Amino acid sequence: MGATTRQIEVLSNVSPEVLLERVEEPRRQEERELECRESIAELPARSSVSPRKGVQRLVSFCFLIALLAFAVNALVSVGIRHIKTSSFGAWNQMMQGRVNADVIISGSSRATYHYDPRVIESATGRTAFNIGRVGSQTDVQVAVLKAYLEHNRKPALVVHNLDAFTFVTTREIFEPAQYVPYLDDQTLYESLRPFDPNLAKSRYLPLYGYIVEDMNFAWFTGVRALLGRSPKEDYFRGFCPREKEWTDEFERFKRGNPHGVSFAIEPKGVEALEQLIRLCQQNGIQLVLVYSPEYSEMQSLTNNRSAIFSTFKELADRNHVQLWDFSDWTHDDDRDYFYNSQHLNAKGAEAFSDDLAARLKDYLAKGSKGQPGGFQVSISQLSTAGHN
Amino acid sequence: MLFNSLEFAVFFPIVTAAFFLLPQRWRVHWLLFASCIFYMAFIPAYILILFVTILIDYVAGIYLERVEVRYKKPLLWMSIVSTCTVLFIFKYFGFFTGSFIGAAGMFGWQLPTPAVSIILPIGLSFHTFQSLSYVIEVYHGRQRAERNFIVYATYVMFFPQLVAGPIERPQNLLHQFREWHDFNYENVTEGLKRMAWGFFKKLVVADRLALYVNDVYASPKSCNGLQLTTATVFFAYQIYCDFSGYSDIAIGAAQVLGFRLMENFKTPYYALSISEFWRRWHISLSTWFKDYLYVPLGGNRVGKARHIVNLLITFGVSGLWHGANWTFVIWGVLNGVYLITGFLTKGLRDRIFNAVGLREDTLPRKVIMLASTFTLTCVAWIVFRARNVNDAAYVFSHLASNWNFQKLATEQFHMRQFPVAVGSIIVLELAQWVSRSVSIPSVIGRMPMTARWAVYASFVMFVLMLGVYKQTQFIYFQF
Repeated sequence: MGATTRQIEVLSNVSPEVLLERVEEPRRQEERELECRESIAELPARSSVSPRKGVQRLVSFCFLIALLAFAVNALVSVGIRHIKTSSFGAWNQMMQGRVNADVIISGSSRATYHYDPRVIESATGRTAFNIGRVGSQTDVQVAVLKAYLEHNRKPALVVHNLDAFTFVTTREIFEPAQYVPYLDDQTLYESLRPFDPNLAKSRYLPLYGYIVEDMNFAWFTGVRALLGRSPKEDYFRGFCPREKEWTDEFERFKRGNPHGVSFAIEPKGVEALEQLIRLCQQNGIQLVLVYSPEYSEMQSLTNNRSAIFSTFKELADRNHVQLWDFSDWTHDDDRDYFYNSQHLNAKGAEAFSDDLAARLKDYLAKGSKGQPGGFQVSISQLSTAGHN
Repeated sequence: MLFNSLEFAVFFPIVTAAFFLLPQRWRVHWLLFASCIFYMAFIPAYILILFVTILIDYVAGIYLERVEVRYKKPLLWMSIVSTCTVLFIFKYFGFFTGSFIGAAGMFGWQLPTPAVSIILPIGLSFHTFQSLSYVIEVYHGRQRAERNFIVYATYVMFFPQLVAGPIERPQNLLHQFREWHDFNYENVTEGLKRMAWGFFKKLVVADRLALYVNDVYASPKSCNGLQLTTATVFFAYQIYCDFSGYSDIAIGAAQVLGFRLMENFKTPYYALSISEFWRRWHISLSTWFKDYLYVPLGGNRVGKARHIVNLLITFGVSGLWHGANWTFVIWGVLNGVYLITGFLTKGLRDRIFNAVGLREDTLPRKVIMLASTFTLTCVAWIVFRARNVNDAAYVFSHLASNWNFQKLATEQFHMRQFPVAVGSIIVLELAQWVSRSVSIPSVIGRMPMTARWAVYASFVMFVLMLGVYKQTQFIYFQF
């Protein structure tokens, strides 16, 4: 009875236009309703599991997933720490205190790809190792050097590679998965954390560092290592020769930046380099700052190059540190020696390492003769700073 | 808040637990509050825009029932125009003024460009359309006006489908906010499984493919034909998995809470014609346009010429709905042209197929139709994905040139990513193929508990380990 009254009420409120439409389009309405019914996901009417038991099951399943995540994370970290080849192998050697070299090369990818410690060793008779990190800025390089010093015997000399972007600070750590197995190392963690707040998540949340922060399947490398499959060896005492020919990257860069580029000289970036200098001085380590070869055409495309080099020189002078500039290197305009504007290929790295090793040999020899037990040589003797 | 964020992983269990613990009278309030938090995670102030839209249509709905018949239509139009004005200002103002200034420039009138830069509120087109569907339904008398503002606001703002649909009809969703939703274990687990499948589509397939697609479409002129073709096919899967993945997560999340949302996708790439594709793709939007634009224009119950015009208008507007760019308009119109060509040539195609012995329902004929539909769809996706018309033209003209198999990878997408990308597409297709005849969740559901949990845990770990989690907003959020 009530329903009928309501229907009449509803109908009396409906306009004639609507009623007409209803008469004209009953089929369309039916079709729509059928479509609607078909398209709506059906839900189970009654549960065979009590809510209490259901919640227990859901919580247990979440617990199982969390347990699995912790287990896989631990296995991946163990696997990566066991790798003896590739960049992981080089990093493991360093973090496990198995380097203890006399000469250390630090810096960005330009350090990793340009400096062959084997050439330096054979020229100088001193052990050498490259701790350059691909995609790192000076602030991260300081963290890496600190970690090295924490775990290894102090070197006699650090050769630190400079870049045009040396004074640009880190916005986000590049390929953070490489650091994840060692984030329990307090020195490394504390040094890196200011540059990436997500590092805390990588440290405390299982798998976060391997799956969220990494795009290169580092976890898979770790699992393979656990099964005894190491990555291909492409690092030699931390040096990675790039068997590549000149690519079109520079041409694309020029098209995208026809008026050149400027690299910021951030006060925090300057402070980071000073921190690196202080770190060496406090530990009684000789430091040589080296600007390794850069393709000549790129040099003219860096609009504020002279300002950057003035800052290098000012820092080196103020702290009595060697500054060697290879901007006008013999092959700086020869594309056979580079694969892009910033990076030497294997052939270029070999040639540059020869040149650098010869210079280091002289430097070490003069230092030894002049000052017992040290490498002190006046800047005027060897520095070629002041380019541009 | 993104579904694929750590924040949502915390937000959703809390919202669900509190929802089931609260008494009925507080549940809708709680859902509205949760939806506000969800929405405000993007740009908090934009909730005011949403509030304006909600208020306009809430008031309009009530008055549409109260006023005399002669005032109904003007009131409906007032409501539609007001709601669409919000959409126009935020989404199309820049586009239309830019196009107008460009057109004026062609006639030699140099007009100044307005120095206004507006960020599009996330999901504006979705909740605008959901809101519009309510007033139109109330106007037609197919839906009673909702008197409870909290219930109506929750209908527009229900967080699972707030920013990317499905665009619900009031008849399906509104009444559910008044119903009691028991904690139902089967319901919850079915919803969670649906969400897991959505996360697979989004994180493992769509976001991995996006790395390649973004690289290629950012600079198509530096890519060879093979890269352009691969990126286009990848984009077809990316956009499908991105959007249908979102819909799966939305439907699953709603199901966990005991709500039913409409299906939005039905394996669209299995369509044998473009018209079938549109019955399987973004169903909630397609039916919206059909019911509220195509049919009122006359649909197919008019002369042939008018029918063609109706189709072109509907698809052109649908293209514009997707974005304020001519590429989207062209994409929409192109689909309209496909459809028109399809029905105009149907007889001819049938005769050709029959002449070569490929009768209806034969496998080779189906394969040809499926492949041609997929190819046509991919061609349309090029216009959809390209940054501008020039880029789209370049991609079209270079798809078949310079296939360099040595240079398939891109800067961000190395060769080691291909096995995962292609493998995930194969897993997707296999699962969809098997699902045509067998319900995979039912098969797993019949397993003993240990085996079942092993399968579920493996799948969760598989999605976790192979997913991509960086820079992964859902494509459809921008619409």
